[in-house]
Amino acid sequence: MIRSEEGIRTRLTIYFIIFVSIFVLLFSRLWYLQVMAEKNFSQLAERNRIREISIDSLRGSIFDRKGEILVNNRPAFSVIAYPVLLNDKEAVNRLANLLQIEPVEIEEKLKKYRGSFLFSRVIKKDVSLKIISYIKEHQDEFPGVNVSIIPVRNYLEKNLAAHILGYLGEISDEELKMKNFADCQLGDEVGKTGIERFYDSILRGVKGKRKLEVNAFGRPLRVLEEEKPLAGYDLYLTIDKDLQRFVENALKEGIKLAHQQGYRKARAGAIIVMNPQNGEVLALASFPSYNPSLLSGSLSPKDWAYFKSKKSNYPLFNRAVMAVYPPGSIFKPFTLVAGLAEGVVNYSSVFLCEGKWIGMGKSWPKYCWKRSGHGRVGLGVGLADSCDVVFYEIGYKFYKIYRKTKAEILQDWAREYGFGSKTNIELSSEAKGTVPDAKWKGAHYQHPQEKIWLPGDTVNMAIGQGDLLVTPIQIAVAYSALANGGTLFQPHLVKKLGDSKSKVVHLIKAEVKSKISVSPSILNKIKRDLKRVVTEGTAKDAFLGFSLPVAGKTGTAEVKGKENFSWFACFTPIQKPEYVIVVLIEEGGHGGSVAAPVARKILSYLYHQPIILPAGIKDFSR
Amino acid sequence: MKLYFQENLRKIDLTLIVVVLILVSFGLLMIYSATSGGSKGENTLIFFKKQLIAAFLGIFVLVFFAWIDYNWLRHYISFIYAFIFILLLIVVLTGRIAQGAQRWILIGGFNLQPSEFAKIVLIICLASLFSEKKAESLENSDVLRAFAYLIPLMLLIFIQPDLGTALVLSVILLSMLLVAQAKVVHFGAIFLVGLVLFLVVWQFHLLRDYQIKRLIVFLNPNIDPLGSGYNLQQAMIAIGSGGVIGKGLFSGTQTNLKFIPARHTDFIFAVIGEELGFFGACFLLFLYFLLNFRALSIALSSKNIFGTLIAIGLSSMWLFQIITNIGMNLGIMPITGIPLPFISSGGSSLLANMIGVGLLLSIYRKRFG
Repeated sequence: MIRSEEGIRTRLTIYFIIFVSIFVLLFSRLWYLQVMAEKNFSQLAERNRIREISIDSLRGSIFDRKGEILVNNRPAFSVIAYPVLLNDKEAVNRLANLLQIEPVEIEEKLKKYRGSFLFSRVIKKDVSLKIISYIKEHQDEFPGVNVSIIPVRNYLEKNLAAHILGYLGEISDEELKMKNFADCQLGDEVGKTGIERFYDSILRGVKGKRKLEVNAFGRPLRVLEEEKPLAGYDLYLTIDKDLQRFVENALKEGIKLAHQQGYRKARAGAIIVMNPQNGEVLALASFPSYNPSLLSGSLSPKDWAYFKSKKSNYPLFNRAVMAVYPPGSIFKPFTLVAGLAEGVVNYSSVFLCEGKWIGMGKSWPKYCWKRSGHGRVGLGVGLADSCDVVFYEIGYKFYKIYRKTKAEILQDWAREYGFGSKTNIELSSEAKGTVPDAKWKGAHYQHPQEKIWLPGDTVNMAIGQGDLLVTPIQIAVAYSALANGGTLFQPHLVKKLGDSKSKVVHLIKAEVKSKISVSPSILNKIKRDLKRVVTEGTAKDAFLGFSLPVAGKTGTAEVKGKENFSWFACFTPIQKPEYVIVVLIEEGGHGGSVAAPVARKILSYLYHQPIILPAGIKDFSR
Repeated sequence: MKLYFQENLRKIDLTLIVVVLILVSFGLLMIYSATSGGSKGENTLIFFKKQLIAAFLGIFVLVFFAWIDYNWLRHYISFIYAFIFILLLIVVLTGRIAQGAQRWILIGGFNLQPSEFAKIVLIICLASLFSEKKAESLENSDVLRAFAYLIPLMLLIFIQPDLGTALVLSVILLSMLLVAQAKVVHFGAIFLVGLVLFLVVWQFHLLRDYQIKRLIVFLNPNIDPLGSGYNLQQAMIAIGSGGVIGKGLFSGTQTNLKFIPARHTDFIFAVIGEELGFFGACFLLFLYFLLNFRALSIALSSKNIFGTLIAIGLSSMWLFQIITNIGMNLGIMPITGIPLPFISSGGSSLLANMIGVGLLLSIYRKRFG
């Protein structure tokens, strides 16, 4: 027997050792993979087999305060493409040609995808039936291209309330990283501006999920799990659709009125109608406007360029909240409140207006808009006829306090009324404006001489000029506080959220930002004098024959290098006001002759008065 | 009568027979599981049916080779070598005509893969050659003659192309040289020649990187068509996700959803690992351990060196196939298209292995002379 041979036994022992080592090696590896690393590999196997796709939820509709529909969704044919399958450059060119878009646009979209066979990209929304049938008939020319019915945002009233509603667009790379859009994915449409933006997560709803089992080729075999999507909430705005339409037309006519009065450069403006008792915005218009439907589809780069050009006068720019202007004389009531509340002036004070004011010294004269002078006037006429000298005096008193104590009382009062900070209305890119003070001036200007706070700075601010900048919405909020006795509301545009299915409604309450403590007697006197603005002052002509009592103030803001900006702010009824109206026409001239008639028109509409404008309105104040 | 029965029983290696029968059944079951998950209309049972036929044939072949005296084979060395050489030549020639890789000859509806049988032929030839030696250790001439046997077969198989089987042949030679008591110098010389060949190719950039990659793809066209290691990764995921007790027979997701490539052939171990888990895989390893352990015992108990060398040749063939195939499935060996003995679908492979088992039984039976 072979086992007796010593040499062979040694060699067989070596062989045996190799043989056993091989089994030890395989056993160890098996132990590692199946016992130690099982969890890891199980996850990988599950990830292999399970694909999760999301089911889009239906975006909520938007209604006005009376429940009239403004925005909904309509089904539309869309061309989609599977990036994995559409990789033929010629097919891309053919598709681009058919859809009349640039091939680069399609390539950009195909480049960004999530790697799965199941993932498709929307190439163009809302495509005509003709194009759809062409693609279907020539399917082999368009590999990986398909047609899908996708809801498209439908802005039923076209340009109406465009700046309030906003528009949709494909989510950007930056937005994808943002917390608000955490549950969004590439290719999703999200609100870009306006209500669509602010309430995006509420309108958007919750996406559904479908877990599919797929095989190695990515082909889905069965549905493992499904979560139905939840439709977004419907929004009911504080806006009154009919009023909004009237206001938008009134704004356009206001610009025409400015043209008629020789202010040919007037091209833009804003109007806000607000309820001073709760901060509800009833109408908010900015001109020029745009049709959100145009932007919510796939806007061509050419159209984008137009929207961003000077020629179009920037229709996307919401002047009611994004633009800052010097308020001019519509700021004067706040200077007056400050002066009276601080005891700097009182109603027995008398001022001498000779058209020229040399309170700061002979070498620094300032002028009243009425060069002939108002004569001896009290605060009442000072406000009603917008006498600048009266307010120069008040401003100069504040400056003297500043010089003594470093207290910036006028600025503090301006901030009390909300100037210099956002109102936090639900619209994007709201501007803060500027309440200039010594600190601001020091930081803002370059030259050491310019950094010093001068008497003229306070004096200019007192008449709403200088570096003071406000937004129309700030004026609306501040006048509401004047009207309602001192409550500073956060203005809002959405009244309630509604779930169309369950009928559950969430009311959105008025937010009070702060209560301004001013004695009612001061406010009542100011209201009385604001009423005199309309009855005998700068807005007298505009409101000639108007039967309802109105408290208001004209403003003619001076802007360097431009025509005067025409302002009017008012509220009515005087004791328990229901409406605050703010009108601004850029380069529209005088407040009393352009903005005030527009406000009168709106008041006539609100109180069902005949819409008559007196002829030959003349206002030269500021 | 009882004594006669006991006498005969002593001549039979029952453990080996049982182990092989379990292995073959196990293989059939796993081929069924690996291929039955297909969609309707596919003739998915074809592999199972073919393997079943091969298994029955295999039992006859096994009995036949167990019944004959393996020592007779010595007289037919030249004949069987010539026979397999011609078969391999036919494969290469018909492959050339068909303008593509081809590893089989079509005989009566079955694909005969001569390279599988070439392994057995080489084992017998080398065992015969080494057992004729005069001295205790091998002469230089013996080693050279051994290579003379090896190289023609290896080249014919290599150009089919079937790199895996060619590698198996060289491992068989090395193992048999070891047990036939080749000198350390011989191994040194073989190592040196191998190294020089490798360095020449490497140093003179006879192959560029992409050529090496192409060569690998060319030699294994069916294994990794995507080239990204995707298949290998999927096999490891299958095995790892099987865990300790497995996902259950016929319930492997990686298997049924076709994430595992070549499920019934090269990657059948991944199916076992996924569906039967660590226990199932260890059971298979245990069977293989017993198989090789019996082969080694038979090698030790053989009455002559010819039998010892045949047993070692067979064991080394199986061992090498086991470690390369399972190692590939476990991600510790490169991808080579080597079947798992007795388990992978493939009639020729099964038949050749059954011949091997028959030979082992014959050697065992004749151990007392």
